[in-house]
Amino acid sequence: MTVSSTKSNVAANTATPDLVITRFFDAPRELVWKVWTEPEHLMRWWGPKDFTSPVCKIDLRVGGKYLYCMRSPEGQEFWSTGVYREIVPPERLVVTDSFADKDGNVVPASDYGLGDDFPLELQVTVTFEEHQGKTKMTLHHSGIPAGEIREMTEAGWNQSFDKLGESLK
Amino acid sequence: MPTDQLSTTFAALADPTRRAILARLASGEASVMKLAEPFNMTLPAISKHLKVLERAGLITRGRDAQWRPCKLEVGPLKDVADWVNHYRRFWEESFDRLDEYLRELKTKEKQNDRKQHKK
Repeated sequence: MTVSSTKSNVAANTATPDLVITRFFDAPRELVWKVWTEPEHLMRWWGPKDFTSPVCKIDLRVGGKYLYCMRSPEGQEFWSTGVYREIVPPERLVVTDSFADKDGNVVPASDYGLGDDFPLELQVTVTFEEHQGKTKMTLHHSGIPAGEIREMTEAGWNQSFDKLGESLK
Repeated sequence: MPTDQLSTTFAALADPTRRAILARLASGEASVMKLAEPFNMTLPAISKHLKVLERAGLITRGRDAQWRPCKLEVGPLKDVADWVNHYRRFWEESFDRLDEYLRELKTKEKQNDRKQHKK
């Protein structure tokens, strides 16, 4: 964590709330846990629509690393890596998240066209709760800069701000 | 948008006073005097903040030499929000695929169960 704290002062100041996404899956959480933590399963869904996931390596132990690659339809590759911080099957997974090269070295986000102030390391926390055979999955992506701006826009300061809110969507 | 512009934007946003100024400007143009009211700050101090925001392209100042009203510019804010949206889109679309994949796995499981029953 020392690496990111020196590099990301500016970002840290603007990054307050996490990006939070909640989804329900019609599957038991053991299965959802499995598709998050086993490469042959993760490769089947990692990445946006029409992306492929040609490489996925997982060393599932605290302190172990992962290396994912996703490829856009145009052939551009995005590599990401991180370290497992917490592994509580099938409930909770905490990993760091950084941009990487194909050898798994952390690279600054500017290599992928993002700003110099983008932190070297973000954190992803995923929790799984089971209700009657269905799984509620909650994802927290923390450390993304401009969280405050997101909050401001989402809150919609006031009516005259609606126009700005629209343009930010 | 060049990355150094994005860095400038972030540096400008990394201050609570400047974010409060932007919030105020979201409801319309305002003079430096008006903007200074809610803060316990001198006009030169506020002007300094406004210069940072202006350099980052987050606000523009009117031509009128007397009151030069400040106006919010949404362009740089949109670039910043695009980052977050980029991540949101990444997750949402991945999870759509995950949802589909889980369905597929469950169907396979059921088929295997049936086969085993037949044996």
